[in-house]
Amino acid sequence: MSLATKRKLQPYLYIAPIMILLLLMFGYPLIKSIVMSFQDYKLTKLNKIHWNNFKNYKNMISDKNFWLLVKNSLVYVITSVIGQFLLGLGLALALNKRFRGRGVYQSIVFLPWAFSSFVVGLLFRWSFNGEYGVINDLLKKMGVIEKGISWLGTPGYSLAVIIFAMIWIGIPFFAINILAALQSVPAEIYEAADVDGCGTFRKFFSLTLPFIKPTIIMTILLRTIWIFNSFDLVVIITEGGPANYSQTLPSYMYSQAFSSYDFGMAGALGVLLMVVLSVYAVIFLKVTNYDKAGDF
Amino acid sequence: MKKRLMFVAALALTGTLFAGNTLAEEWTREFEGESLTFLDVAPNDVRTSYYEELFEKFYEDTGIEVEYQSVPWDDAADKITVLGASGNLPDILTTWSGWLGQFTESEWVVPLSDYIGDSIDEYTDVITDCYWKSEKTRYGDIYTVPDGWMVKGIYVRKDWCEELGIELDPTQDWTWDDYFDLVEKLTDAEKGRYGATYRGARGGFDIILTYMQGFTEGATFDQDGKILINSEECQEAFKKWTDMYLNGYAPEDSINWGFAEMVDNFKGGLTGTLINDSEVAATLIDAMEDDQWMVMPFPVSAKDGICYNTMGAPYAYSMSSFCENKDAAWLLLQYMTTAENQADYCVLTGQIPIKKEASDLDYYSEDGYYGAFLHQMNQENVAIPATYGPFDYTDLHQGLLHEEVQSYLLGDESAEDALNNICTALQERMDEYLAENPDTEIETALFVSK
Repeated sequence: MSLATKRKLQPYLYIAPIMILLLLMFGYPLIKSIVMSFQDYKLTKLNKIHWNNFKNYKNMISDKNFWLLVKNSLVYVITSVIGQFLLGLGLALALNKRFRGRGVYQSIVFLPWAFSSFVVGLLFRWSFNGEYGVINDLLKKMGVIEKGISWLGTPGYSLAVIIFAMIWIGIPFFAINILAALQSVPAEIYEAADVDGCGTFRKFFSLTLPFIKPTIIMTILLRTIWIFNSFDLVVIITEGGPANYSQTLPSYMYSQAFSSYDFGMAGALGVLLMVVLSVYAVIFLKVTNYDKAGDF
Repeated sequence: MKKRLMFVAALALTGTLFAGNTLAEEWTREFEGESLTFLDVAPNDVRTSYYEELFEKFYEDTGIEVEYQSVPWDDAADKITVLGASGNLPDILTTWSGWLGQFTESEWVVPLSDYIGDSIDEYTDVITDCYWKSEKTRYGDIYTVPDGWMVKGIYVRKDWCEELGIELDPTQDWTWDDYFDLVEKLTDAEKGRYGATYRGARGGFDIILTYMQGFTEGATFDQDGKILINSEECQEAFKKWTDMYLNGYAPEDSINWGFAEMVDNFKGGLTGTLINDSEVAATLIDAMEDDQWMVMPFPVSAKDGICYNTMGAPYAYSMSSFCENKDAAWLLLQYMTTAENQADYCVLTGQIPIKKEASDLDYYSEDGYYGAFLHQMNQENVAIPATYGPFDYTDLHQGLLHEEVQSYLLGDESAEDALNNICTALQERMDEYLAENPDTEIETALFVSK
């Protein structure tokens, strides 16, 4: 083998181990789940696996809960992302200013990000318990309610509790990223803006926001995908109840796989989620002009 | 736990009941050096330490090492399914009767009749004449040895009843209507007291089925395999049961309650009655004062006067078909169920022994904590109703069954639609099963004392 050929091959050899690992860890399960989505694949009937064409997809669409799950998923993702973004942005702007005890305060408010979803789920599950929960107790003492609310047993409220939990856990992620972006904005441009007589709002919308836009776009994109795919809080706080009113597509996929052991149906739901999120990512990046973000 | 531990300690110190038996027992060391694995699906401090001590004793007596593995109950079905599908089941596993359809269909467990052999005479009548008979009817053989026996009862707040001047006699039959009246009387939402501990989450349909079976002679399907619980009487029964929730005799949150929430809220003083297995008595003995609670037997059907009680084994031991040394595994199973070990285990876990010798203990006399449960076992009008069916219904039990009831409770569909959807799903499973197994004997209620 000539030296030139060796040099050409060198980079491929360097990345070969990780590529093989990725193919094994991601490629194979991905392909396998796509294959399973076209099969009657029940873990309890492994000797009766067979192709069933689009039956899983037909069953998925005709499932009486399907549109409820779609609605729940959209409400869950949109409100969680908006809530996390707005509160995370506010927190980052507050922490961008120097004040006494900032380090301690910063450590405390970033704590939720370090908690496991399991712990957060249990925390919210008990806090919102209809009989013994601290939330009802506080609301009663404040005179907001007279009778305890069955947060986890009422349609609408049960999903709201999961959304609160998701917002609470995700604020630090937005705050950390936006704060890092804010700290990279050069002070000179603000000085120039001051000389030109720009007000606070003008400076924020014309200077700060465009400067941190790439970070915001990427953070929103990542969080949307993560939140859309996450099912742990749903499973821990309500298990999708009552009557699927707090169930989302990923948590339903989880229950299909690990409660019904129907990996065919779970595969179909997985493929649907993958397609939806891929399309979302492409459209989102296009609409937000990500490639032009940060240009002045 | 103190009270129960004291009893076990007293047993150990006196050693009178089983001393002769223990000394005479010599265990073969034929399998010395072998190792086995054991899976517990309901681990807690009491069970785990019991098993670990037992396996140490087993090692001393036989030279066989046993590795104790456990999985929390909520994840057990998933874990076992994955282990079974990948051919990695432990040698002996604790199972739940609702999973047995899945296990036998998948051939993950082995028949035990040949192993049990003549030792069948050592077991109590309820095990041989009901439990194993039912298993043979459904699956064609015996696949499990119960770890203990549980009878359902209704736990009642005795102190609340005394306050309200309600008199209850656990030695007399009472009807479900009497129970509904009691629930209504005990409810005082202003005081934060509810009469019923309603189970709305997973497993919530089980008790509704039992109540409805009071109108179908304890059956779920007729002899032609047609579902019986969609009759008008059953629809009325379905509404009557769910009215307890809709009328506010149970906390609103209970639409999402499972086993843990039920027991916690009864113990905590929120609810006045709790329908559950004798297993719960062990918890209440430790957590509550004796004058706070009592146990009433299961009510009888107003239609035929029969008390349908889903008594059975909460968990049972089965042997995995992947086990490489089945004789050694059987030895372990025998060891776990000797009269002596059975007595210790049952006292600690709140169960009734399956071996005749162990069930003679004073602890299980009719005037003890378990009186109401044992009383039911000796009545001629007590029967074990049929299960959902011989097919695999794990997925329905994990989802559709309670979700349909929840939908009705939330006003999303009528009671008739909810029950019809449940019946349709069960009927489809039965038709499919009968098509593949045309010789299946359809389950009927089994009388305990006949």
